[in-house]
Amino acid sequence: MILQINFKSGMPIYLQIVDQIKAAAASGALRPGEALPSIRPLSEELRVNRNTVAKAYSELESLGVIETLPGRGCYLKENQSALRKEVRRKLLIEEVDQAIVQAHHLQVPRDEFLKLIHERLDVLDDKRRAHEGPKED
Amino acid sequence: MNSLTPAIQIENLTYAYGRADAVHDLSLTVQPGRCYGLFGRNGAGKTTTMKCVLNLLRPRHGQVRVFGLDPAKHEVEVKRLLSYVPDQVAFYPWMSVRETLDYLASFRAHWNRKIEQELFERFQLDPAQRTGSLSKGQRTQVALIAAVCPETDLLVLDEPTSGLDPIVRREFIEAVIGAYQQGIPGHRTILVSTHLITEFEGLIDEFTLIDRGRAVLTLEADQARERYQKIRARFAQPPPELDLKAALRIRRDGRELELIVNGAGPELMNLLRQHHPEALTTESLTLEEIFVATLKA
Repeated sequence: MILQINFKSGMPIYLQIVDQIKAAAASGALRPGEALPSIRPLSEELRVNRNTVAKAYSELESLGVIETLPGRGCYLKENQSALRKEVRRKLLIEEVDQAIVQAHHLQVPRDEFLKLIHERLDVLDDKRRAHEGPKED
Repeated sequence: MNSLTPAIQIENLTYAYGRADAVHDLSLTVQPGRCYGLFGRNGAGKTTTMKCVLNLLRPRHGQVRVFGLDPAKHEVEVKRLLSYVPDQVAFYPWMSVRETLDYLASFRAHWNRKIEQELFERFQLDPAQRTGSLSKGQRTQVALIAAVCPETDLLVLDEPTSGLDPIVRREFIEAVIGAYQQGIPGHRTILVSTHLITEFEGLIDEFTLIDRGRAVLTLEADQARERYQKIRARFAQPPPELDLKAALRIRRDGRELELIVNGAGPELMNLLRQHHPEALTTESLTLEEIFVATLKA
């Protein structure tokens, strides 16, 4: 899994790590049961403070995305429905609202916006399929 | 030691060389487990402040506490708790790298041989080489090994990467992140002074910007990147006169407008939207850009 930190995005670094790992889990780049990089090598690679990576991981753990096995590291949870459906909906609504406001300011009409959503869903499906695609050997 | 005791507490510190104050009425608090940046131009007072923390200089006014102790009164206790990489590294030139590290280790109660070995391999140093024939980068690497191996609670780095080539700098910072912050996250504290801010961007939790001996700005890094923003707008026609007093800096070029803001981002974005820009973008300033914007404002 490759993460990319952007200091200019205005989003705290630990949240960028949280979001990217969530995205990796959603797209299938990270599969249930797979190990996450451990804190030290990841902080060296991203050249960020260890505390930042540790904070991101504990956030992911409290969200129920990953679990920590003592002495063995962090893993993507097998069953990720830890967040109740309503809560998940609410989280999503906030994000969707933001996108709608942005679309309004960029003068993207309703039809075009909906078309874009469908396109993006397809792209993500394709990515997921590619990750789950034919295994070697 | 109480966990609430700050790693470093500086209150109203003033120090003068001759008549001119090098540091004037400076206060800052470094909480344990954090990586704290001291940013400023050459001659801003960064090294003087650090030397007061290390008891290499005695403050004229104000006080310094390291884990609650006065470095002048409890010199040995404080020195046991910290290690230091100075901006100019000097070793006995006739000693080999191995001898130098053994010599320095003999002053310490604890020395982590495993980390020493790891860093030796990472930096590809020759233990038999005399320190007098090391390059500047290699001398800094040896100094870093000597500062990391005792595994003290506080690591003080004074301009550690200036004058080093980009590869050595990267390695230096990765080594600090990896080796020094090993163990329980949030345990060890780092105080680093630098004007090469970009390199330390991801490492810094909190910083104080010093200018002409005074603390100009103290902020958490994440908060700083949220508050300081660059807004760019492009209009169909040259924009009318707008009330942009809330911006730190304004640049106009024909139909384009660029604002640097501190905290007033959302309001100014709304104001600009009312004039239907063709394009409107915002991005955070990096810590280095905040440094420049603050000192040039």
